Amino acid sequence: MSTVLRVTKLSKSFGGLVAVKDVSFEAAQGEIFAIIGPNGAGKTTLLNLISGLLTPTAGTLELLGTDVTTMPTYRRCRLGLGRAFQVVQPFPEMTVAENVLVGAQFGSDGVSSAEARRRTDRALERTGLAPLRDQPVEDLNLLQEKRLEIARALATQPKVLLLDEVMAGLRPGEARQAVELVRSVRDEGITVVFIEHVMPVVRDLADRVLVMDHGAELARGTYADVTSDPRVVEAYLGVEDEDAQGGDEPVGVPSVDASSTADDAGGTTGGNA
Amino acid sequence: MDLSLLPQAVVSGVLASGLYALVSVGLALAIGVIGIVNFAHGEFFMVGAFLAYQLFVSFGFDPLLSLLFVAPALAVIGALIYLSSIRFVLKAPELNQMLLTFGIGIILQNLALLIWGGDPRTIANVPYRSLGFQVGGVSIGAVPLGSFVISLVLVTGLYWVLAATPLGRAMRAVAQNRIGAGLVGLEVNRVYLVAFALSALLAGLGGVMIGVIQSPTPTVGLGFTLKAFAIVVLAGLGNIRGIVGAALTVALAESLVATLVPNGDALRNMVFFAIIFVVLVWRSRRVA
Amino acid sequence: MRGIARDLVVTVAFAILLAFLPGLLRELFGRASVSYLSLATNALVLAVLALSWDMLARTGQLSLAHAAFTGAGGYTVAVLFKLTGAPLWLGIPLGGLVAAVLALGLGSVTLRLFGIYFAIATLAFTEVLKAAVQRLPTAVAGGAAGINVPALFRPTFVPGTMERWEVAFFRNQGYFWVYAGLLVAAIVISLVVQRSRLRAAFTALRTNEQVAGVMGVNPARMKLLAFVLSSFLAGLLGSVEAHRLGSVSPDGAFSVHTTVLALVTPIFGGLYTTLGPILGATVLAGIEETLKRTFSEGYLIGYGVVLVASILFMPRGLVGLIGKLFRGRGAGGTGRAGALADARGASGTDGARGVDDPAEERA
Repeated sequence: MSTVLRVTKLSKSFGGLVAVKDVSFEAAQGEIFAIIGPNGAGKTTLLNLISGLLTPTAGTLELLGTDVTTMPTYRRCRLGLGRAFQVVQPFPEMTVAENVLVGAQFGSDGVSSAEARRRTDRALERTGLAPLRDQPVEDLNLLQEKRLEIARALATQPKVLLLDEVMAGLRPGEARQAVELVRSVRDEGITVVFIEHVMPVVRDLADRVLVMDHGAELARGTYADVTSDPRVVEAYLGVEDEDAQGGDEPVGVPSVDASSTADDAGGTTGGNA
Repeated sequence: MDLSLLPQAVVSGVLASGLYALVSVGLALAIGVIGIVNFAHGEFFMVGAFLAYQLFVSFGFDPLLSLLFVAPALAVIGALIYLSSIRFVLKAPELNQMLLTFGIGIILQNLALLIWGGDPRTIANVPYRSLGFQVGGVSIGAVPLGSFVISLVLVTGLYWVLAATPLGRAMRAVAQNRIGAGLVGLEVNRVYLVAFALSALLAGLGGVMIGVIQSPTPTVGLGFTLKAFAIVVLAGLGNIRGIVGAALTVALAESLVATLVPNGDALRNMVFFAIIFVVLVWRSRRVA
Repeated sequence: MRGIARDLVVTVAFAILLAFLPGLLRELFGRASVSYLSLATNALVLAVLALSWDMLARTGQLSLAHAAFTGAGGYTVAVLFKLTGAPLWLGIPLGGLVAAVLALGLGSVTLRLFGIYFAIATLAFTEVLKAAVQRLPTAVAGGAAGINVPALFRPTFVPGTMERWEVAFFRNQGYFWVYAGLLVAAIVISLVVQRSRLRAAFTALRTNEQVAGVMGVNPARMKLLAFVLSSFLAGLLGSVEAHRLGSVSPDGAFSVHTTVLALVTPIFGGLYTTLGPILGATVLAGIEETLKRTFSEGYLIGYGVVLVASILFMPRGLVGLIGKLFRGRGAGGTGRAGALADARGASGTDGARGVDDPAEERA
């Protein structure tokens, strides 16, 4: 299997604050790669670095064999990097289909209108949004919005898909559907790199896991490997065992960003960003 | 370049920095505490100037006396504006806020134009206007010196309020964490109201003084909004303490250009706006 | 596509209406038609101004530099006339071009500026331009006094074939048709943008530039394109205005008044649409006449009030109001719409009354 994404000693500092420190990993084609870690570990920053929303202070990034370390975001997208955001930001005053169409039209070079429409339809079907295609995005519920995020990303024909806490806020049934969707995406040959707090999801999906803490790598391996690593357990302050409902991060710690949402009673949503 | 004028330029700049600091600190208050970039800030300044002018023309009030009247007047005006419009857009997109305050600025400016017309007005017949003294080859006008002192007193007063009074603490708390302060039960809306009224008041007082030094027209507001904004940005958004230093920098730069560069006085505004532009652009390129 | 065909038909019909309007007015009102025509011309000018500003606003760039571009157009015409013997008509497209080049420059350096910073930078830019033009050698640009510009239309009175007032009428009519042509051009450009993938790109950019980039939209190219289109139209307008007004001067050509008109009108009429700016212009031009007669100095106060009222009560402008009446839907969508509006403030004037709590109950 070939490496599609190669992160080498990536670092990012904001003034004096080190957000990401010397992180390296490789994702192989068709792999599902998870990045986990406690609050403030730098996971989203890492994803932002990979997407191109931030410029690294050190290190390199290679996507599908091309050095993209300083490549603008939109070019990375055209190269094959897709991203679904944690806080969904649909484009207002447009329908679901129109939102996805943006990705289809601009996600690759030289896409004809007909081809863009085809890709849009395909993405809508894959994510089960086809019946909602003409709905204004303002009317969607949370799960539908998350599907829209993924549909938009899929429409850009990614080879690598970055997902940021897709499960946050979903009820168990919804989370199961999301897991299925991610699996089907991988089955098409798309490599998935995702950040997640909901441990059962990580256990079910991830081929390999990277644990981050304080911006640096803490551990890596399979889900079983990392969850039995005492350092990881300590970093999380009490991940008991696989069967615990969600991570047991201290409840009531206010969100650093307003994105992560309230728990659902008895749901799998364990954590805050 | 006549360097013998350097000391004079420096002194003039320092004296002018007082007013700049006064005007800017009000804007910094609005931005830091309320979170709103008030495009109409310079208009409060202008209103202060014209109120003082009117008091002088109608009742013969000395500008120093007018300060006492303009302060509550501007506070009330600020409060009214806040209550009738600003508070509804606190959570709205920043662009809505910008446009709203811009609209308020247009209203104020044109109201003044309606009342006073477009000609420059100055409070000219004040006995101490041409008073001044020489210190080692540098001439210091009584009025600029007085403005500097008064401004300094007011700004220091504000710093004291922020540091030592419950209200000031409340404002700082709100500035640091708007959501948190609300959770703790601070009467956030009342803090906003006071902060906005205060920012209007400070600007207005600055206006009173400028009415004696220069001849403002009702259209000077926008220029002062730009200047205040530049100083606030230079100090760092939300950094109220840094305003004095930033105001000094800007005032000195302006004074040096006006004095030392040939034809500098005519150029001073242009240079100023050019600097704002360059600084904004340059800063934007350094991000991420 | 049905939508495009409809747009085409409506535009052509509108163009025809404009072409015949002067004649119609003359038939109906005789001598009085001169002032009605003048009023209609003002509406046209405002409409072009508004549409051109809106074009840039669609990418989320709320510019306070619009007067810089109309002024650039005006001065191009004036300087060209003053320095060369070029035919008058040449100045107009040249004015548009100069404005576009200026915009390319300004747009390029402000790509990373957003919101209030962008606004302030554009305002500062305009002020610097104004001061710079004033300081150019008087032989070139006329200094503070400016340059006189000849009229485009100078109908002569021929006794027997027409009445005296028709001289003014024919002159007004000439300008009316030129502006009508500009407006139709502006409408076409706007419609083309709205019906193409540019609309999605612009909307994406103004909603969230980062997300748009992640989806493959090239922010720089799109923003600059919008800037160029917007300023080209503004430059053309300024060029024609220079002829109609008879002169350009730094204070007049680069006046912030122009910018105020340019932004209040589309906000009032409805941002990011083709109809909104035109509707807003029609209404406001009508009101402006009354305002100008009542308050000679300071009539802009009406515009300030309109702007404030629009932000507070009518964030989607007239177009939104009309749409609401017809659709009977609730204002501004449901909770998510409010939350969306929070992002960078880039969705324009949605949610003026506040952003709904994003953590609200979801189904």
